[in-house]
Amino acid sequence: MFDFSVPDELALIVETTREFGRAHLAPHIRDAEAARGVAPAVAARFAETGLAALELPVSFDGAELGALARALVNEELGAADPGAALALDPFGPALYAVLEAGGEAAVREHLLPLLGRPGARAVLITAHDARLETHGDRLRGLAPWVPADRADLLVYVTDDEVVIAREGIMAKPLRGAGLRAAGASELIIDAPIIARFLDGEAVGEALAHARIYYGSLLLGVLRQAAEASRIYAMSRVAFGKPIAHHQALAFLIADMRTAVDGARVLVQEAAWHLDEGNPAESLAAAAFAEAIEVSTFVGPNGIQILGGHGFMQDYPLEKHMREARALGLLLGGFDAAREEAGAHLCAAGAPVTLSVGER
Amino acid sequence: MEFSIDKEAAERLARVRQLGATHIRPLGIEADRLGRPVPPDHDYFKLLLANGLGRTRWLPRDPAAAQGEARSATKSGESRVVGTSRTSIHIAEEQAYWDRGVSTATPGPGMSEPALISMGTEDQKLRFLGPFVNPDKPRWGSFAMTEPGAGSDVSAIRASCVKDGTNWVLNGEKSFAGNASRADWILVWATIDESLGRAGHRAFIVEKGTPGLGNFKIEKKMGIKGYESTSFTLQDCRVPAANLLGGEGHYASRAGFKGAMKTFNAIRPGIAANAVGIGRAALDEALAFAREHERLHDVRVRDRLERIARKLRMARLLTLKAAWLADHELPNMIEASMCKALAPTVAYEAASLGMELLGAVGGRGDHLIEKLFRDVKAMDIVEGTGQIQRIVMARQLVNLPNDNSGA
Repeated sequence: MFDFSVPDELALIVETTREFGRAHLAPHIRDAEAARGVAPAVAARFAETGLAALELPVSFDGAELGALARALVNEELGAADPGAALALDPFGPALYAVLEAGGEAAVREHLLPLLGRPGARAVLITAHDARLETHGDRLRGLAPWVPADRADLLVYVTDDEVVIAREGIMAKPLRGAGLRAAGASELIIDAPIIARFLDGEAVGEALAHARIYYGSLLLGVLRQAAEASRIYAMSRVAFGKPIAHHQALAFLIADMRTAVDGARVLVQEAAWHLDEGNPAESLAAAAFAEAIEVSTFVGPNGIQILGGHGFMQDYPLEKHMREARALGLLLGGFDAAREEAGAHLCAAGAPVTLSVGER
Repeated sequence: MEFSIDKEAAERLARVRQLGATHIRPLGIEADRLGRPVPPDHDYFKLLLANGLGRTRWLPRDPAAAQGEARSATKSGESRVVGTSRTSIHIAEEQAYWDRGVSTATPGPGMSEPALISMGTEDQKLRFLGPFVNPDKPRWGSFAMTEPGAGSDVSAIRASCVKDGTNWVLNGEKSFAGNASRADWILVWATIDESLGRAGHRAFIVEKGTPGLGNFKIEKKMGIKGYESTSFTLQDCRVPAANLLGGEGHYASRAGFKGAMKTFNAIRPGIAANAVGIGRAALDEALAFAREHERLHDVRVRDRLERIARKLRMARLLTLKAAWLADHELPNMIEASMCKALAPTVAYEAASLGMELLGAVGGRGDHLIEKLFRDVKAMDIVEGTGQIQRIVMARQLVNLPNDNSGA
């Protein structure tokens, strides 16, 4: 039976995340952008929440929660500061590729050492983001942008392979279009491969989780943009009444809310199916695609409602538009996500009827 | 959280699916070709009854008369309602997938049911829903609010009602009421005084054969021809006071109009589900056509199909969310209007894309997608246009003042 309530066991985690974001991230968004990272005090508070171990296997003292937990947590973090959220997560979605392809042994060997190094980051790159080449036991090429100032571990995924490297990755700082709190750099790679796994199924599963990860951060940004502009429109007066009471804006605000709520149910549905072990790669891809499509509607209109103020950095709306656009570029962005979802829909021999998730 | 259909709903869906292929869709295509609704004496309606359909969700207090198991109780307490809103949404989607017109011709109290359940007295529920608990023959109820000059602006209805002793006398015209000419009774909205706006509204159960109820005219429509959309007149039509929905006390302050709006909150997700069903049918046909004509390798085609599939899934989930809120008696005004605003436009896009993929074949006028393309437009109009839904949402979201419109 369809049920949209937040599960009891996750309600407290979601509440903790929301409170952390409200108290420790949202007030410092401009500082974090300027500093290209979060303040040590904020990182310390984050460590206290235990959120860093949300999806880590229990054998590593993690909570081993799934995609739905991630989706709910990241929506809250994204609503506060998606760049800071990335800066605070040393593994990011690289965890999924390492875990799915190499299991707990690979996590222990490649990821856990990062925990001992403050500010360390694992970086996930797909073949859509950068055309890297393998020469014998080396990985070479250039990644034009990653939302990080360092890459302590590089996880590169193609259609059917996960390739891991640690040394020989030079991070050249960039200004970054968005997510500056996470850092921004170009990666110049000539790295010895330390592990590689030929496993297309693992890649598919990892990408699905990664799309939920970024898609839910994006959802949080969009929720915040829609809410901030809605609240502004109720107090700003023009032509004798709050601008929200002019039908052109009233309808726009209603449509923005619809767009955000629509993206959310797709993200949550895909996450739920992932956790159930149902085929969900195309659902996750479609959910990410929808969130990206919504970002091109809610992002600019959030600014539009504030008019000139929206364009100024005194308000966060301009940041929301940039960050939403930047998040939607990851993992091959819109086109790669649509390709995945469309291929499934149009697969020869696939049942014609849109599946409902019956079981 | 859960995103799957429970076993019982799945079984009911399977039955609808079977009936859809053998009866609902063929009857819909026939009605479309002949330009008339499925006649009330058609064997199909008897078959529905034999299959346990064409009944009311309402159950009388006396369990001896109850059919099936009650799943949720109404807050008003006395009588109960069978099944969840979510199950109704699944069924509404699947029926419309096969044919929205024929599914709307399904016997039963129709969209008057939520109004009767939420506003009616126990006696009225027993009198007017009672015959639908275990019907002896196909029976219909009808709902009449719209008038020639009052569509979206329902506060502007002009049909009048005047108290005369133990009766009310009704005069006026009503438009586009589903199943009205075949109905045992019609839930008619009228006003005691036009200048009072919503506060003057009263709802009556007008029974078939009441003198003064007549001039039934079954309208000619662009699509969804399987059921009748009927206009009629009330001329000095005398209705007993016992047929005033909810009794006089119900109409203190704005309660009467709010009752009507509550009805629409319950109905809107159902229309959204209908739209999703029509959209799914169009998508399936479009996919089948594109596959047959080897167009699916074309990225331009695939991207558009992917977008429609995604939006339909989204519309379905938002519809189910509105129903889930209703099942838990949580406020769902935003969500009910949201899905009603969204789903019809998505479904229209699905049918329109289908026409595009058909190309010249769509122009012939004999492909199912062409019929769906004509059927679907009504979904953005009935039970509150997309624009009215946005006004309802904006009231909740930004306190849009009520004087902006009549919704």
